[in-house]
Amino acid sequence: MDDQGCPRCKTTKYRNPSLKLLVNVCGHSLCETCVEALFVKGSGICPECGTALRKNNFRVQLFEDPFIEKEIEVRRKILKDYNKKEEDFKTLEEYNDYIEMIETLIFNIVNNIDVDETRQMIEQYKRENKDQINKGRNKKSKDEEYLECLIEQEKEESSLKRKFIVEEEQREKDSKKKHKEALLDELMFSDRSALDILNEHKTDIDKENELRVPVMATTKFSTGIKLGAQGPFMSVPQQTVELFTYSPIHLDVLGPDPPDEEALETNGYLRHIRSASDEEKGGGFESKLACMRALLDAVNGLFYLPDQV
Amino acid sequence: MKLNIDGLLVYFPYDYIYPEQYMYMLELKKSLDAKGHCALEMPSGTGKTISLLSLIVAYMKANPLEVTKLIYCSRTVPELEKVVAELKNLMDYYEQQLGKGKPKILGLALSSRKNLCINPEVSQERDGKNVDALCHKLTASFVRANHKRDATVPVCSFYESYDAHGKEMPLPEGVYGLDELQEYGRKKGFCPYFLARHAITHANIVVYSYYYLLDPKIAEVVSKELSKNAVVVFDEAHNIDNVCIESMSIKITRRTLDKCQQNIDGLSKQIQRLKDCDAERLKTEYQKLVQGLRDANIARETDVILANPVLPDDVLKEAVPGNIRTAEHFLGFMKRFLEYMKIRLRVQHVVSESPPSFLKDCYQKVCIERKPLRFCAERLNSMMRTLELVEIHDFSALSLLCHFATLVSTYAKGFVLIIEPFDDRTPTISNPILHFSCMDASIAIKPVFDRFQTVVITSGTLSPLEMYPRILDFRPVTMATFTMTLARTCICPMVVSKGNDQVAMTSKYETREDVAVIRNYGNLLVEFCSIVPDGIVCFFTSYIYMESTVAAWYEQGILDQVQKHKLLFIETQDAAETSLALLNYQKACENGRGAVLLSVARGKVSEGIDFDHHFGRAVIMFGIPYVYTQSKILKARLEYLRDQYQIRENDFLTFDAMRHAAQCVGRALRGKTDYGIMVFADKRFARADKRSKIPRWIQEYLKDGLCNLSVDEAVQVSKRFLRQMAQPFSREDQLGLSLLTVEQLDQEDTKKKLQSRMQYV
Repeated sequence: MDDQGCPRCKTTKYRNPSLKLLVNVCGHSLCETCVEALFVKGSGICPECGTALRKNNFRVQLFEDPFIEKEIEVRRKILKDYNKKEEDFKTLEEYNDYIEMIETLIFNIVNNIDVDETRQMIEQYKRENKDQINKGRNKKSKDEEYLECLIEQEKEESSLKRKFIVEEEQREKDSKKKHKEALLDELMFSDRSALDILNEHKTDIDKENELRVPVMATTKFSTGIKLGAQGPFMSVPQQTVELFTYSPIHLDVLGPDPPDEEALETNGYLRHIRSASDEEKGGGFESKLACMRALLDAVNGLFYLPDQV
Repeated sequence: MKLNIDGLLVYFPYDYIYPEQYMYMLELKKSLDAKGHCALEMPSGTGKTISLLSLIVAYMKANPLEVTKLIYCSRTVPELEKVVAELKNLMDYYEQQLGKGKPKILGLALSSRKNLCINPEVSQERDGKNVDALCHKLTASFVRANHKRDATVPVCSFYESYDAHGKEMPLPEGVYGLDELQEYGRKKGFCPYFLARHAITHANIVVYSYYYLLDPKIAEVVSKELSKNAVVVFDEAHNIDNVCIESMSIKITRRTLDKCQQNIDGLSKQIQRLKDCDAERLKTEYQKLVQGLRDANIARETDVILANPVLPDDVLKEAVPGNIRTAEHFLGFMKRFLEYMKIRLRVQHVVSESPPSFLKDCYQKVCIERKPLRFCAERLNSMMRTLELVEIHDFSALSLLCHFATLVSTYAKGFVLIIEPFDDRTPTISNPILHFSCMDASIAIKPVFDRFQTVVITSGTLSPLEMYPRILDFRPVTMATFTMTLARTCICPMVVSKGNDQVAMTSKYETREDVAVIRNYGNLLVEFCSIVPDGIVCFFTSYIYMESTVAAWYEQGILDQVQKHKLLFIETQDAAETSLALLNYQKACENGRGAVLLSVARGKVSEGIDFDHHFGRAVIMFGIPYVYTQSKILKARLEYLRDQYQIRENDFLTFDAMRHAAQCVGRALRGKTDYGIMVFADKRFARADKRSKIPRWIQEYLKDGLCNLSVDEAVQVSKRFLRQMAQPFSREDQLGLSLLTVEQLDQEDTKKKLQSRMQYV
């Protein structure tokens, strides 16, 4: 860490322990004094790569590698827009493809590969998915919720524990005092032998200790719903209604197959049926329907044998 | 002899049996019948290993469908060899009794490549990691594929011939220790390591180290395909919780991160190179990753050096998240994570944090979500394979970081992150360390308990027994502790609580600098040196305490007095120095007036080195070996134990201190003909809470009268004890009391007597 230094004035952390490195969007670091000197006007260019920068965009460099600093900056921005979660996808594969795509976008921007094209793609995505982005902005993924729930639980447990320990100590102190007083009283006023009294007290205390099994306070309802924190169990259920898909109806006729619709006309079945009037046709009735129905009725159950069922 | 254990015919390869061995087998049989886990404590030196082996082998023979395999886990290679030797002994006995040739049982030991490799070039390497790396260089699948194209690429001939012929040819029945495996490998030209790894799936008895089951990184590779109907034995399991915790914890320093930086730079260069010359390979990898992880690496056994920590299976089946699918994106991802870790290590004061809040902060700072983090280890693995990197060893820093990422995002509970800006001892030098520490021993061992029908946890010192099921979170069907039946009182435990000047002796923090206390400890040592023959071993609570005490003794002239009687050796933190000191100590015990070894509880000497017979006639424990309580990691663990398992801090600390004390003093007695004095030199040992936690076989002889002695009294007691022990002692004296024949076992009154030797917990 000591070999970190400002690339412009070559000061290192070793020589100036109070050196403060700042970094801007381009991912090149500069020390505080250099920034003051270079950006008097409030804006200027990066001495390394020539990008136009603003002074108030400089912030303290958190990571040792300024490249990572830049990457995370980019990543934050992109993740703000590409904020779909695993639950928004139907299959895991789609989700995986999606996050890989994000990764590629970030990789391209950070490593200066087809930057313009990538930016265009992002802009386009933003325009197309405006609603989705706004909706997903404040949503948390399942994993995050799970973690938060755990942290909450931890906090609760530790506070309970602290209380419990304090109480326990207090009680122990009290009971010790009480026993001591009782013992002294008895020794003073009783006529039994001292040894008996001592032994009796000892067994009493032992018994009491045995009885007092440490009971940990329960922090959960019996239903498993957490107190306080809104865990993943309480979150609003996702609406995952399956789309209707048509599957042809299968009729079990228990007989020979009736002739299909085309055969009605070609084989002349329709001749034996009254043709539909104009009014009936207007209502959607066709003579085919009646014919078909009659034929089905005719074949239905021909092979039916009562004892087989 | 042939025994009837609750209706089971057991072949026992010795003519006599200790009563506690018989009881031990009975209990073991009960838990095998119940298909449950058990925890058994039996003193060291009473033949645990042979009892375990002979009973389980007999059980396997009688019920071949219910128990198919025995997995015996031990800690060190010498212990492993001991088990194999006992097993051979047992098999010879079977052969001799049944007379039908070798019994149809395959037993084998498995150890690291370092101990098994027979490739003349690779096996010269002394460091285990280097051997692994060299082996990988010769046997990785892409290296072998290259070899097929270009014969000049070197490969391991042993592995090649094993791969060509060895897989179909099952190992003939018998018992294979490490040496036998090597010999067999040489004869056939097979690689013994991979042969053994392959053979454990169909072997009846497997002997290997704890880590092959407990460390998830290794277990995933080695022990994945073991069947459920196996019996798992953890021998010397008194420290099993620490092993579990160590295998799941990770330490990251600033240097690790710097190395990661180098690794990432190296990788990006490699990727660029590959892109220029063979972009096709990256594409195929990408395609594979799109499909899902598990398909991408269908067990190619030699490639799995960088294995992953435990991932839930559903994650492994899922596809890798889209944002780390291509190699460049993954590297960018790792760079971001690395930078994040760097800023986390830049702290001014100690930070303690839970994994969820770490993940949240990580998301806010560098936009890294939890899900891709979970896949880090696997993703890195896949990338290494695609890049066909041979020097995997060089990338250990990055793989450590990836493991950390995977673990921290997988486990929300039971872990804590502690970031310390400097070492406690050197508060001015900035040396930031991130400890990702596991607090729950049950996480690592849970798969073992879930998977196998019977898990036996046993050791010489498992006191207090009821603590183990709580910290390991399992439900044993039997928990029992056995004492040693002795024909004579051959141990002499005592608590020395004050010096001759009546100043209390204790290593309590407030008084440990007190000159009077140090002088009294010195007097104790001098007095014992003058009366005890041969070796004396002393244990201090820590290296720092030992140094300051020995310095004070030097000034007070106590060391001169000690050296009038015995030579003096000191354990140091350097392993080589210590083993030299040990060697010379043993030499000195065999010649002349003997020696004194000053060592440290929890050190190398206190674990695994036996001081039997004249190597340790007396053990002196200076103070109670509490663990360093100010450590943040320990504090976090204590808090966790209290919240999760309702174990109070003090209970756990005392338990931990007492098990180490018991380990230390237990070093002196390694068998029934041995004898030794055990001195607990701290007045706190006499308190009921400490005393009750000493193993029962020592407690039995620690009478009330021996609990509050001064140095003078202790010397008197020891003198009398040593005089008694010096009388000749033969096997006939033991027979019927602590050694039984078959006939004696069947007698009704012995059975009654036996019952009293055991105690359920």
